[in-house]
Amino acid sequence: MEIFYYALLTPIIGGAMSLFFSEKRKLKVVSFFAFISMILCLMTAVNVFASGESLVAVPNIFNGMFGAIKFVVDPLSAFFISFISVMSFLGCVYANGYMKPYMEKGMNVSSHCLFLSMLISSMLGVVTIQNVMFFLITWEIMSLSSFFLVIFEDNKKEVLNAGIKYLIYMHVSVIFIILAFVLLTLKSGSYDFNSFKEILSQNAQFANLVFMLAFVGFGIKAGFVPFHNWLPEAHPAAPSHVSAVMSGVMIKTGIYGILRILSLIVIPTAGISYFVLIISVITALYGILYAITQRDLKRLLAYSSIENIGIIGIGMGVGMLGLAHHSMPVAVLGFGGCILHILNHSIFKELMFFAAGSVYNKTHTRNIEVLGGLLKSMPKTALLCLIGSIAICGLPPFNGFISEFLIYFGMLKGALTGNLGMLVLMILSLAGLALVGTMAILCFTKLYSITFLGMARSEHAEHVKEDVVSSMIFPMICLAVMTLLIGIFPQFVFELVTKPVSLFTGAIETPAIVGLLQTISFTAFGLLAFILALAILRKLANKKAASHCTWGCGYDKGNNHIQYTASSYASPFLSMLTPLFKKVFDIKKPKELFPKDAHFCLHIEDVEEAYIIKPFIKDIEKFFTVFERIQNGNIQQYILYGLIFLILALIALVFLG
Amino acid sequence: MITNLINLIILLFAPFLVIGVIKKTKAFWAGRKGVSIWQPLWDFVRLMKKDCVISNTTTWIFRLAPLVIFATTLVAGLFVPMINGQPVINMEGGFILFAYILGFGKFFALISAMDTGSSFEGMGASREACFTTIVEPAFFIIMASLIALTGNYTFQSLSMILEKAGVMGILITLLAVLALVVMLLTECCRVPVDDPTTHLELTMIHEVMILDNSGQDLGLITWAAGIKMVILESLIAALLIPMHLIGFWYSALCYVAALFVIAVFVGTLESCIARLRMSHVFEFIFAMSSFALIILSLTAIRIYGN
Repeated sequence: MEIFYYALLTPIIGGAMSLFFSEKRKLKVVSFFAFISMILCLMTAVNVFASGESLVAVPNIFNGMFGAIKFVVDPLSAFFISFISVMSFLGCVYANGYMKPYMEKGMNVSSHCLFLSMLISSMLGVVTIQNVMFFLITWEIMSLSSFFLVIFEDNKKEVLNAGIKYLIYMHVSVIFIILAFVLLTLKSGSYDFNSFKEILSQNAQFANLVFMLAFVGFGIKAGFVPFHNWLPEAHPAAPSHVSAVMSGVMIKTGIYGILRILSLIVIPTAGISYFVLIISVITALYGILYAITQRDLKRLLAYSSIENIGIIGIGMGVGMLGLAHHSMPVAVLGFGGCILHILNHSIFKELMFFAAGSVYNKTHTRNIEVLGGLLKSMPKTALLCLIGSIAICGLPPFNGFISEFLIYFGMLKGALTGNLGMLVLMILSLAGLALVGTMAILCFTKLYSITFLGMARSEHAEHVKEDVVSSMIFPMICLAVMTLLIGIFPQFVFELVTKPVSLFTGAIETPAIVGLLQTISFTAFGLLAFILALAILRKLANKKAASHCTWGCGYDKGNNHIQYTASSYASPFLSMLTPLFKKVFDIKKPKELFPKDAHFCLHIEDVEEAYIIKPFIKDIEKFFTVFERIQNGNIQQYILYGLIFLILALIALVFLG
Repeated sequence: MITNLINLIILLFAPFLVIGVIKKTKAFWAGRKGVSIWQPLWDFVRLMKKDCVISNTTTWIFRLAPLVIFATTLVAGLFVPMINGQPVINMEGGFILFAYILGFGKFFALISAMDTGSSFEGMGASREACFTTIVEPAFFIIMASLIALTGNYTFQSLSMILEKAGVMGILITLLAVLALVVMLLTECCRVPVDDPTTHLELTMIHEVMILDNSGQDLGLITWAAGIKMVILESLIAALLIPMHLIGFWYSALCYVAALFVIAVFVGTLESCIARLRMSHVFEFIFAMSSFALIILSLTAIRIYGN
């Protein structure tokens, strides 16, 4: 257990140490300590997985009125600390290259380094601390440090706005979490998570109430619809490695919170499980739908994170329904898919955010409509981004498919549990997940082909001469290799995942599923080998390949402006679903005989933001304007208030005293 | 083992004949003599001998895509029940892997079309991507319903409905066949969704996506398209014939006959109706979703009706 203390503290020590180094070395120091922390975390995790027992430690510090600070590394926490530490380390390495242009501009990175290391430590703390008070404190440190990371470019107004929006969302989230925990501590009289197990299992209604509060609170962090609005603002504003760590790792702590509460409830009711499943399907569909509408690279990825949180939630919902209907295979498949998808998503989403960061680093724009043809100038980034795109669509032979397959199969099993509601809901969610999958293909073929393929659409993309530096390529290679390894050898990863799953389902019998995964592994391997064989055969056939311009139906002066754009690519699909968006047109029509300037701009707004959040905020503003009359900045009036108060106090004294 | 081998051979070589039969049928209805049914094979052989011309806008993605498309289609074909109702790889939940492997090929088909920087091919790609989003969920609903009805998680559940679901099974089979015919017409780009005989009209989908492919690359893509046709025909055949009950020879006979009949049917359909206007194509494909939902409700009634 001592190892884990060190793992928890090393990032913070690194952050503090970095203050004493020169600007150039700061990020290197942070990465070095993150590396040590990663090794220590992995050692702890291996220890827990191998022995199958959780590590519990209660250090004798802060042992005050809230009980002792208690660290527990059970299989679920071990799973989380291992991928949190790995992903954070890769994020730090990437930052070395990504922050260079900013440092050359003379921006100060010392606070950035400090908050980055605090974020890592606090995330590790959140998933291991099992005492309400200390959990909330660590949770708050995590939110605040990530807030400061988001507003790194605080001289830009939109960055500050996004940061403040994020801050507000996080504090609404923490209110719900506190409410849930207050209810629990009031009933049990203890701050220890373990003491909640009993009261939650006794009273199903109380458990539902607590779960709902926790689901809303943690769901805001995770980005479930309708609490998702901070994601598409905060991710584009933050530096790329921060968005990668936030999207890949930090939002998963929200999922961790829900899973933790769930592990205390033991057997959820069917009603709440249906709720989780339905809201997750909606989240996944909503996320990917808006991802398709986006033109901003990182906003698109942020919406895709919402989609993937939806998929993770679908897995959780299926698992909960399995528990509720006492069907263990369904529960194992559901939770297995859920937990594996947490890992998978963090891998390919980091990869995609890194690739997006590299594109931004070279082109200085996030608008994909002005990019194009980057594959030729940035071949390595392009290849790695292709792997990420395929993986994120959940296509074999990459990792995304494995978790989705587990969820699909869980749904099929769930449909056969002998319950009409289950049959219909499971099959409809299955179709929902299939729809999400195909929409993801549309979304990421769009992202990839508009960014990297075809001809450059503007100077931004034309002027790129070389790929990014190796410190940015290296983390991407690691992640790409991970996606492929999990995709080709899923059976081993599944064995690993069953350990945290057993926390929910009890002992697991897996041979049937492992058999299926072996077939998938075999097929994936065969598919890759077959493609390779075909490539070799074609090479051997040695046919000549002449080069010519793209066939334009006899018209050979095609230029970059006749290419399909991202909007036109998505348009046939989006035209079917127009009621689901708010379209804002900005049109200036050409007039007069010799029209000079004309433009057309279509902006698609988030329906929830346009029709719910904004009117709501307006109403609040209206309500608070009432108080403007009282606090109007007029000093004489304030003195009058004082006078009135004194007179009232005197009168009260006279009459009551 | 031998069945698997025969199935594999059919999967590889039936595509040319199926396309040939369709062409012959169309010629028959048009009152022409038509080309020999072996012509698609000769066309393929000729393509394989040719050198190719590659657009200088394209990258290695464009060269890799035909290989991926062919490999994925063939590997996906291994999951499909053929003679004896037995897929080469018989796996529980096989239809998921089947659909996703085809999705992998489609991903490459789409980005390879976009790689050329041609507006034609972009148009084709965006439509293809759009149609998939309608077809796939419906296919998943149908497969899941059939699995729920038969209790068999493999693709073999297709041929078990008649056996397991009684009178309701006939209705469900009919609906599923209708839905799969829509899927076949969409995925294989036949009339009324797409017209495989013309290249350069603005309503084209599949043909326009491969406008820039030539030589061996084009050969592989047409072969893959043919295999996809056989795959979808095999699914329909499996629905109609309880393959696993009737023994090897009868099922082989029925299967080959089914391939032939469906090809003739597609050819006849193409001769009878015109391609739909693009805005109506969506409505046509959405028919598949409604069939799927009806199948789902019938399944629920069949299982929990009493």
